[in-house]
Amino acid sequence: MINTIRSLIYFVILVLTQVLVLNNIHFLRLMTPFLYIYFIIKLSVGHSSVQTTFLSFLLGITIDILSNTSGMHAAACTLVGFARPFVIRIFMREDLPENLIPSYKTFGYGGFIRFTLLLVILHHVCLFLLESLSLFDPLFLTIRILAGIILTSLLICMVEAFNRESRRYED
Amino acid sequence: MRKLLDFLIGKRHWFLFLLLETVSFVLIYRNNSYQQSVMLSTANTVTANIVSLTGSVTSYINLREENRRLIERNGQLEIERLRLQRQIETMIADTASFHNYVADPVRLFPYDVIVAKVVNNSVTYLSNYITINKGSDDGLSPDMGVISEGGVVGIVSTVSDHYAVVIPLLNPKFRLSCKVLGSSYFGSMSWDGRSTRYAKLDELPRHVEFNVGDTIVTSGFSAIFPEGIMVGNVSSFEKQRDDNFYSLTVRLTTDFHRLGTVMVIRNFQQNEQIQIEQEAKSND
Repeated sequence: MINTIRSLIYFVILVLTQVLVLNNIHFLRLMTPFLYIYFIIKLSVGHSSVQTTFLSFLLGITIDILSNTSGMHAAACTLVGFARPFVIRIFMREDLPENLIPSYKTFGYGGFIRFTLLLVILHHVCLFLLESLSLFDPLFLTIRILAGIILTSLLICMVEAFNRESRRYED
Repeated sequence: MRKLLDFLIGKRHWFLFLLLETVSFVLIYRNNSYQQSVMLSTANTVTANIVSLTGSVTSYINLREENRRLIERNGQLEIERLRLQRQIETMIADTASFHNYVADPVRLFPYDVIVAKVVNNSVTYLSNYITINKGSDDGLSPDMGVISEGGVVGIVSTVSDHYAVVIPLLNPKFRLSCKVLGSSYFGSMSWDGRSTRYAKLDELPRHVEFNVGDTIVTSGFSAIFPEGIMVGNVSSFEKQRDDNFYSLTVRLTTDFHRLGTVMVIRNFQQNEQIQIEQEAKSND
């Protein structure tokens, strides 16, 4: 129950931040941070593949409706949500407790950053490739993907460092 | 049979994944058609109210700048009006039966504007959209042109009761027939997805004479925009590969980063023009 409320709060805050603030950012007329996938990263490890896939799809479709990009974010998020359990299994070989939430403390600094980076890469490559269906421009596409990955991962790592919830778990 | 069922249940996350991806791709495919569904866009009242939250805050920040531009534009229009009035007066003085020459003003210029506020605007994607706070209750319908005091903005694509989604120039779906001011040869304007300040004007015949800095205006062939609305200035040009056309880079006069108030153009004769054009096509 607490877990559900926690996820709901994350969902609402991240969707609103993305749609109201971050969608208006166009750093160097090139990069827009997609912080909202922090929601997928912060789901607890105990969720099954079916649950993470479905929740990610819901997240993506919400962002899509609110930014007029129907389908693009949904497709990218579904892929990330589906891949998440596999990625965790690759990085963390030993069995993890059910209610563990990925953070610097639980995954270690290197582990968390690698985990984040992989999901962000997956998300951005998928998203920008789908976007380029309407206009294909290979050079600009590559620059946008790389710049986006750097900006989004940096932002997620910073938000994670300031996240009070993750620090409370250390006690 | 039991083994098959076990297998299917064991792999259910794969099926869910494929199902959801299919749903997403259907949505992407449908979105690539010109009109979106009202439910899945910000034309919907619920979503429009959410996305307009930032619009209502930032509109206050931009008020001073917008006010300055409006006053400037107002001055220009006043001068233009006085000039035209002087012209008409001279014509009346010179011509014995001037009133016989003046056609019905609606037939001469069958346009009307509806002023709307931008509540949500994106410039960061390849396919950008603008949401405005007027809908079918205010007389809007799809395929109406949208302009700001700077020049052409876009075309209305999806309309709900109180909101509408506009496809701006910064969207590969948008094409606009334009010409160099003073000539009558036209080309097709589109956005290349890179800078929000520049767009490309292609298929302009090579014998058209123009210079860098010349004004580009709408050609008025599309029944959406009247002739002569400002689009931008020629910034550079090059020959296209097949050598018969120029490709121009145009610096847009509309600043899409800070759109505040826009005007939707209603053309009273649009239906008539579209109908007769379609009739001509079907007769082929």
